[in-house]
Amino acid sequence: MYPRHVRMITAAVALILTVAACGQSPSPSPSRMLTVGLGFIPSVQFAPFYLADRAGYYHDAGLDVTFQNRIDPDLVTLVGQGGIDVGLADGTSVIPAVSQGIPIRYLATVYATYPSIVFAKASSGIEDAPDLAGRKLGIPGRFGSSWIMLQALLRSADLTATDLQIVEYPDFGQGAAVAQGAVDAATGFANNEPVQLQLSGEEVNILRVDDVIALPGPGLIAGTSTIGSKPDAIGAFVVQTLRAMREIAADPDKGLDAAIAAVPELGQDRATQRAILLATIEMWQSDLTRARGLGAIDRDGWTESIAFLTELELVAKPVTVDDLVDPRFIPVD
Amino acid sequence: MSIRNALPVGLAFVAFVGAWKLVTIVSGFPPFILPPPEAVAVRFVEAWADGVMTPHAAATLREVVAGFAVGAGLAVAVGYLLARSRLAERVLSPYLVAAQATPILALAPLIALWFPEGLTGKIVICALIVFFPVAVATMVGIRSVDTGLLELGRSLRATPRQIFVTLEIPAALPSILGGMRVGVTLAVVGAIVAEWAGAERGLGWLVILARGSLFDTPLMFATLVTIALLGVALYVLVVLVERRLVGAR
Repeated sequence: MYPRHVRMITAAVALILTVAACGQSPSPSPSRMLTVGLGFIPSVQFAPFYLADRAGYYHDAGLDVTFQNRIDPDLVTLVGQGGIDVGLADGTSVIPAVSQGIPIRYLATVYATYPSIVFAKASSGIEDAPDLAGRKLGIPGRFGSSWIMLQALLRSADLTATDLQIVEYPDFGQGAAVAQGAVDAATGFANNEPVQLQLSGEEVNILRVDDVIALPGPGLIAGTSTIGSKPDAIGAFVVQTLRAMREIAADPDKGLDAAIAAVPELGQDRATQRAILLATIEMWQSDLTRARGLGAIDRDGWTESIAFLTELELVAKPVTVDDLVDPRFIPVD
Repeated sequence: MSIRNALPVGLAFVAFVGAWKLVTIVSGFPPFILPPPEAVAVRFVEAWADGVMTPHAAATLREVVAGFAVGAGLAVAVGYLLARSRLAERVLSPYLVAAQATPILALAPLIALWFPEGLTGKIVICALIVFFPVAVATMVGIRSVDTGLLELGRSLRATPRQIFVTLEIPAALPSILGGMRVGVTLAVVGAIVAEWAGAERGLGWLVILARGSLFDTPLMFATLVTIALLGVALYVLVVLVERRLVGAR
């Protein structure tokens, strides 16, 4: 009896080990591990990343992806240093960063429409840039993408910041200030403050910079050393993220569910999050992406933006589009 | 300062710069994360030579001086009241301690909203941060005045004003100026925080611009060096005033 028991136990242990070994997927090699930096606050705007992660697109492509939430300047610097492999960062940050010697490249466009806008209640009568003259405008500060956008917008109307009464809201309270009538208009993001104002029943006017200049919006960036050392992983990440964007554009609820699964707090107000996601999806698209697919990079827009940022004295040393973008990973439709 | 006194100061500076350089070499951080001292020195000189730094330094200095004057002036008056009136101390102390314990970083954006225009908001933030150390130093200084001297003054029929001017203030001055040494460096911190809460000029604003828009790390460090030098210069100024009024301590 005893030997038979030993044989049975040995067989059972062997079976368990075999099943366990079959169930385990091989650990990704370091070259397939990616740390991805998103914006400071987890948000439904990052739905493509959450979907690709939750639905296993990254995993199936052999990637082991970890997310981190960082503010834009930290993200750009960390990506340049190699502390973070891939980031979602503003194109208008990439230009001054590369001109300062930070070795990063913009790999694919996520926001084909520039998300930073000026918004006002329709009742304010502000419909276009010239209407801002003499009005009270709320901004978070005189720096960053919203300040660049505002200067482009004002310049199109032959105005400068001194022609307006600017009120700073460093705590990003300018949206509430518009709602309460403390200011006539404010800078914000097309998929945030105006959406919330509209949901409260207010008619909102939005002034977009895209008609004036095609500033590059947030997109995927990576450090040149990371691109060199992990080209396959970076390529797979870009492809799978764009795949998730396409699927969410076709079925927004798929993205919303993934975002709520990743950040359960978002589920407390599904209607608002859905509205924000719909506004976000709209900004992933432009005439260029409709012709060439999501992720496409507008080289003419980048050239124009380099010249504009140089005028604003934000470019330390001359840069060309080829110094800034690396579109090799974008799948050709 | 004699050569004998200057030597240790110079050696400490050389050691600090040497350690900084060593860290940049050993850590392997790229210049946009930790620039070497020579890159910061070059950017510092450039920024002053091409006029980038001057208007920002002038703006911050204005805020510091005005904020310190308001904060320290009020603090001396309130500190005297606290020293001489137990009732005032009982009523005001909890609020003063609570104001000191509240992080100025949290208050600054609110104050910037209440006073969106010009210097006022920045002066209020500086004054708030300066107030507590100077008020406490004044209170302690006035209370430490020799009671025998006060009684002697009263027995000689000195008026309250004469006692205040000839006895209390001179006796409390070392303590008050000690509080001002702390206060003046805090005033620099207050001005920088105030500029982070909203400004179009100033060294704090230049730090944000260099970091968030220009990605110019050497300029950010050069600005931090300027802020530090401003703090040191103002501290030395208070020490010189102190030496002039009460002698070296």
